[in-house]
Amino acid sequence: MTVSTDQHKEGNKEVTFRVFRFNPQVDSKSYFDDYTIPVERGVTVLRSLNYIKEHIDGSVSFRAFCQAGICGSCGMRVNGLSQLACTTQVWDVLAKSREPGVIKVEPLRNLPLIKDLIVDMDPLVGKMVHYSNWVDSTMPEAQMGKKEFLISEEEFLRYDKATDCILCASCVSECSILRANKEYVSPAVLLKSYRMSVDSRDSMHEQRLAELVKDHGVWDCTHCYRCQESCVKSIPIMDAIHGLREDAIESRGKNDTSGSKHAEAFMTDIEKKGKLIEATLPIRTNGVVWTLQNLLPMAMKMIMKRRTPPPPPLVKSVKGIKIFRAMFREMTEHVKQDHKSHNK
Amino acid sequence: MKPFDIVIVGGGGAGLYAAMEAMKTNPALNIAVLSKVYPNRSHTSAAQGGANAALGNKAKDDTVEMHIFDTIKGSDYLADQDAVDVLCSEAPKIIRELENMGTPWSRMEDNTIAQRPFGGAGRPRCCYCSDKTGHTILQTLYEQCLKKGVIFFNEYFALNLSVSGSRSNGLIAMNMKTGKVEAFPARTVILATGGYAKMYWNRSSNAAGNTGDGQAIAYRAGIPMKDMEFVQFHPTGLRKSGLLVTEGARGEGGYLVNKDGERFMARYAKEKMELGPRDLVSRSIETEILQGRGFDSPAGTYVHLDLTHLGADLIKSRLPQIREMAMNFEGVDPIEEPIPVKPTAHYSMGGIDTDNQTRTVMEGVYAAGECACVSVHGANRLGGNSLLDILVFGRIAGRTAAEEAGKFTQGRITDAELAEQFEEIRGGMHASGRYERYGELREELGRTLALNVGIFRESSLLQKGIADLAELRERFKKVRISDSSDVFNTNLMQVLELKNMLDLAETVAAGAYARQESRGSHTRIDFPVRDDANWHKHTLATLVKGNVTLAEKPVTMGRYELQERTY
Ligand SMILES: Cc1cc2nc3c(=O)[nH]c(=O)nc-3n(C[C@H](O)[C@H](O)[C@H](O)COP(=O)(O)OP(=O)(O)OC[C@H]3O[C@@H](n4cnc5c(N)ncnc54)[C@H](O)[C@@H]3O)c2cc1C
Ligand code: SF4
Ligand code: SF4
Ligand code: FES
Repeated sequence: MTVSTDQHKEGNKEVTFRVFRFNPQVDSKSYFDDYTIPVERGVTVLRSLNYIKEHIDGSVSFRAFCQAGICGSCGMRVNGLSQLACTTQVWDVLAKSREPGVIKVEPLRNLPLIKDLIVDMDPLVGKMVHYSNWVDSTMPEAQMGKKEFLISEEEFLRYDKATDCILCASCVSECSILRANKEYVSPAVLLKSYRMSVDSRDSMHEQRLAELVKDHGVWDCTHCYRCQESCVKSIPIMDAIHGLREDAIESRGKNDTSGSKHAEAFMTDIEKKGKLIEATLPIRTNGVVWTLQNLLPMAMKMIMKRRTPPPPPLVKSVKGIKIFRAMFREMTEHVKQDHKSHNK
Repeated sequence: MKPFDIVIVGGGGAGLYAAMEAMKTNPALNIAVLSKVYPNRSHTSAAQGGANAALGNKAKDDTVEMHIFDTIKGSDYLADQDAVDVLCSEAPKIIRELENMGTPWSRMEDNTIAQRPFGGAGRPRCCYCSDKTGHTILQTLYEQCLKKGVIFFNEYFALNLSVSGSRSNGLIAMNMKTGKVEAFPARTVILATGGYAKMYWNRSSNAAGNTGDGQAIAYRAGIPMKDMEFVQFHPTGLRKSGLLVTEGARGEGGYLVNKDGERFMARYAKEKMELGPRDLVSRSIETEILQGRGFDSPAGTYVHLDLTHLGADLIKSRLPQIREMAMNFEGVDPIEEPIPVKPTAHYSMGGIDTDNQTRTVMEGVYAAGECACVSVHGANRLGGNSLLDILVFGRIAGRTAAEEAGKFTQGRITDAELAEQFEEIRGGMHASGRYERYGELREELGRTLALNVGIFRESSLLQKGIADLAELRERFKKVRISDSSDVFNTNLMQVLELKNMLDLAETVAAGAYARQESRGSHTRIDFPVRDDANWHKHTLATLVKGNVTLAEKPVTMGRYELQERTY
């Protein structure tokens, strides 16, 4: 048809947005509504949702504010991945859609659902308070404003990236531990805790750390890297988590009961799941076995004592780490599937 | 709701600083902060450039006095000089205070707070944290408020002040999570709700919620608005969204090109070309568009900001943010294609009339931040002075309210008043027959403002604008709220915001029509020069019996005499 070629020239595509709906006042169960609209190149998921809200269904509810990727309001899952609706190009998502022409839009996970695409952020704020996510200045309040702390570029760089965080909760939504344990500190809160801890102006480093090494804290993380991979600001969250662990061992000692206990648990966990991989996955290459046997203990040592230069095998086998991470993810997928089939 | 000593409306930089300072001034007070978004989402986070303070870290010879002069000159002599004194003298202290609390400022080689040059400033005095200054300031303030245990009512939408005679009883607000209308009886209220430039809608760099709610609340309560006609336009907003492409793009050598492929700035600023002052470049682009040399598109007429000749390396290394913006919001990679841009409404100089202690004419009601007009920006704000304004006057508001709260009796708000508000805001849910669509009205509001009360103003255009606004307000009475749920009804919120914008737009248009001169951001084609003899004064717009009524107020002068503003 000529119309469609014209449309193609204009750069219009018909896109179906499959939107998660739930209004606690009337719905006992969530469902999806389909809205099909023409979308030209350059249009974001948020603009499409705005269009739907204004022209088709005013009751579709979602948060948005800055529309520029800086306020963190519009976190949601687009085709399964947590991201900002306002910086996500429809055409880019479409290119990778499993079902051609369809984009699924769902609320973030791991936070209580309020309505449609809106989740409750209060639990996250509560954790920020619990883990003292602020600088408790060494300067008494009465002295403030008189003179600057002198801070080196080196120190600034330690927390520069971490202060990019806009609390959009995408990482929270993707965190594998949070799915099982809502009490878990959360990646964004670990990141913020780290940012405060490496700030020389802060005076409550020890107290904060004491809280972080308790249950649901920094030792519960499984190192699945999902938070970092989904961070909308590409913040190396894992560096912060490693940093906190290293810090915990350094300042609380290797024999700090909770710290080492959890480290132990972490190792067993991986080992256990490692066997599970061998048993369930078809991949049995040398590389994998090598990775599991050599790399893991190494990596763990690294975490414990990051100041020492990394041992040779690790330097050479970046590829190995990648394979391992990919496997680890597949493995968690398997665990999930297993759980699901058990529950059925 | 239990009564409060201070209710602060707004969790941006101004509101949060007010909260902190109020707690510090008198820890025994009962203080609440209400915000329609989580405080860390406030628009303060969007400020990239930085905040001005004569710290002298970069230029050792910088002084507070020079900062004062730059600000007054920048304001086209409409700022009150005693207020500017306060702004600039407090600046170094407040920037250090933030630093002492943990704001991650970028650093100079000698480990002091970094500073860089900014438009209209004689010395490099803009303190920054990379390109996320507002974001990090807001984070710091929010963290410190959480530390101090400030009580937050997040996602509460302020509706109106409850007023008896000349004083307020407190605030009435809607809880977004439940849809309930709740009372916040209070001795004092601080309005800190940010700017109103979003009324230009997709011709604005502002967040969706910068709809002038606090101003509209004050206006409806009979408090005068000051200098509302002064709205700052930034030359390069993205075509589709109005989002800002910062000056950096032109600074690195970007061209502005019309549809004939011509670098049109040659016509307006032969020497400076693309690097002329903001208002001049905005007017030039607008002229090209008005004279038919722009590109047409469904999302509006625009010109090109061409960076392609700069090469991939330079764009990637020096302008990564701008590249990301262009890709995210226009789907255009500036390495390969020019970016579509048009001028965008950026900042509202006008606002709630206050004295230097942030008091309004209503007893117990204070205002600070972009929603207030002290005035420190006069007819034109300097880049980097707005963050400073919200911090300095946010703090003063917190202190003043804390000191004065004891003077006022505790206000009362009746259930009948709440019930009435509830009915009123939800009227649109029952719209039947021929109703009006929210999106259409909002679109038309933005369009008529941009066309008739935009960069170029003129008597007949402004009359048209005023007539359009009257019609839109009439049509608004039949607007339909298409979501009938109580829980998080964002559609209802949008309609309420539209109402606020419509109320305020009238004061902008009326002020612009009355002011028969060109000064700062206000350009009248029919009165192209500054007229100090007749117009060196503030405009006050007050709601009297449902109509906007204009009055004037003298500008407070000081050490600096009127001079022509040339750069
Ligand atoms: C893109 C951009 C870049 C900028 N860059 C700079 C810069 O580099 N330097 C500079 O000095 N200035 C800059 N500015 C200007 C500056 O950012 C703002 O003027 C300033 O941040 C306003 O702060 P505020 O505290 O007054 O309001 P905001 O930060 O806008 O906060 C308003 C608060 O009020 C709340 N609120 C509003 N209405 C209601 C309601 N009805 N009920 C309850 N709560 C409500 C909101 O939730 C929010 O918490 C920039 C502005 C923009 C748009
Ligand atoms: S690495 Fe840790 S914090 Fe990050 S998603 Fe995995 S479990 Fe969660
Ligand atoms: S760490 Fe990244 S993904 Fe997580 S909240 Fe912050 S910005 Fe969002
Ligand atoms: S709307 Fe602010 S980050 Fe998307």
